[in-house]
Amino acid sequence: MTKSKTLTGGALLFEVLQEHGVQHVFGYPGGAIMPIYDALYDSDVKHFLCRHEQGAAFSAVGYARAAGTVGVCLATSGPGATNLITGLADALADSIPVVAITGQVPTAAMGSDAFQEIDIFGLSLACTKHSFQVTDINELEKVLHQAFEIALEGRHGPVLVDIPKDIQLAEVTQRLDKLSHLKNKVKLPLADISKALDLLTHAKQPILYVGGGVGMANAVEEVRDFAEKTGMPSVSTLKGLGAINPDNENHLGMLGMHGTKAANLAVQQSDLLVVVGARFDDRVTGKLDEFAPNAKVIHFDIDTAEINKRRDADAAILGDLKGNLPLLTTELDIADWQQKLQQMNTDFAWRYDHPGDSIFAPGVLKTVSDLMPSNTCVTTDVGQHQMWAAQHMTFDDPSNFLTSGGMGTMGFGLPAAIGAQISRPHDTVIAVSGDGSIMMNVQELATIKRYQIPVKVVLIDNAKLGMVRQWQDLFFDGRLSETDLSDNPDFVMLAQAFDIKSQLITKKSEVKAAIEEMLDHDGPYLLQVKIDAAENVWPLVPPNTANDKMMESV
Amino acid sequence: MSSMTLNKYQLIIMADDKQVVLERILQVTRYRGFLINGMNAEVNTGNNVATITMSVSSERPISLLIDQINKLIDIKGVKVDNSEVQIQQHSA
Repeated sequence: MTKSKTLTGGALLFEVLQEHGVQHVFGYPGGAIMPIYDALYDSDVKHFLCRHEQGAAFSAVGYARAAGTVGVCLATSGPGATNLITGLADALADSIPVVAITGQVPTAAMGSDAFQEIDIFGLSLACTKHSFQVTDINELEKVLHQAFEIALEGRHGPVLVDIPKDIQLAEVTQRLDKLSHLKNKVKLPLADISKALDLLTHAKQPILYVGGGVGMANAVEEVRDFAEKTGMPSVSTLKGLGAINPDNENHLGMLGMHGTKAANLAVQQSDLLVVVGARFDDRVTGKLDEFAPNAKVIHFDIDTAEINKRRDADAAILGDLKGNLPLLTTELDIADWQQKLQQMNTDFAWRYDHPGDSIFAPGVLKTVSDLMPSNTCVTTDVGQHQMWAAQHMTFDDPSNFLTSGGMGTMGFGLPAAIGAQISRPHDTVIAVSGDGSIMMNVQELATIKRYQIPVKVVLIDNAKLGMVRQWQDLFFDGRLSETDLSDNPDFVMLAQAFDIKSQLITKKSEVKAAIEEMLDHDGPYLLQVKIDAAENVWPLVPPNTANDKMMESV
Repeated sequence: MSSMTLNKYQLIIMADDKQVVLERILQVTRYRGFLINGMNAEVNTGNNVATITMSVSSERPISLLIDQINKLIDIKGVKVDNSEVQIQQHSA
């Protein structure tokens, strides 16, 4: 310990944040975090006042995902802290590095059911990678450094630091000489490289199965290089979209429940899956026992616990994908397989010649995708619009498609777009939402207004909870229980109440001009797109069904 | 009446004596589908390392739990006792 400058715990927090390169934080003040907000008053860290702590958490997630850095959010004790939980759970499920700072009642009052007291430390166990509660001012700096290290070490994830009010007010004069270091949990590398090479060179019908871990590992270039040099056909998970070059003729799109027909059939027929940063999620595999039934598996992952978790690996390569994948790069003799799948890509290509004047949601999203500038960052909420965005939009990097994959959290899209726009002020950011989802965090329109954040919102409006309605129609005998939203507010007027320019379109002929106007507008914009309420997302692999038994219509 | 075969294991976990490390282990064990049949925890105050022995049972392979416990930040290591026992559970 050196340096002698007296700081309060609150002031120390912002010094440490700045040492970790944090320029922006998202939060909401309250009683038990007031000393931190008082220190913020003198800090160079820019704070964005969100209108709900869940919005702050999702903005931190969007910030982290768009910029490839750590997102930071702040909340007070009790309800402020519990409101962060959904965002932290989302970050845990999608492996996003977030540091959440919560205020806590003073240490003397802890455990007394004090006003706005909740055991957020206990609640955090199931929704964070790690958490701390600081009860000694002399531990605060070390804990804060550890929080950042843990968030970024290995498989990324959220870390919560709970700081009682008296610790925020306490003074400390000594500072650490340098950043603390985590104990090094050295494990022997699990690397069946020679076995993997043998599997690869003997495969006739291999598929590269690309997950969200590729972007997290900063290994997009290596994966693209591997795909190009091996010529291996590839499929992507929802979070893996953008990792493969959109121009790669051997890319088959998303696999899984709403994956492309070509992707799902190819995986089912494959004799080898090269899995990079993916985890055999149930939305990907369908009926697990029948997923890629004839395929051997080479599994690359940073997380030991993902190896053999849902599907046994014939060769496991644990560790840094960026360094490991090039070890397997080799030319393959798979021309017949490539040709067959390219033909499937052609035969099963999406069609946008939807009859009639009404707006076809996939066509809208395809048009947005075609017209948006390069390096546009798209966020989504959860539901039909999310799947249509995944199917019909093209992304040139995983950091340009931010969607709640593991947790499937409605309300994600708008605050995540705010975070993304703040982290990348020079890029276009578009939130694709639904009329159900947007109401989950609609208060964040006030955040957009306050800071004039130029997020564009494409609101796909079918006046339904569309995905649930689709499942009720298909699997619950059409008994439409609590999915009608025909009493939605007037979204155009709602946007205008927040000084956000807005427009409603209802006809196919209006689509292109409206999207151009939205993209050309200098500030925030909400484009409400009325679609047919009966429209379904196709294809669909029904629950507990093999992926080659997909439904393509009713 | 259906029956399932539960495998019973004895785990020995070494952990830094940090806040809530025991709660973290219990939470992960329950969430990952293992029943806790018994446990004992002691701390060596000389080096602040806790030794936790835990008897668990599950239909699931123990490697799934070991990998998840190992991921916890304060864990130094997990060993499984080799003497595995199978028990039958019957439910109506």
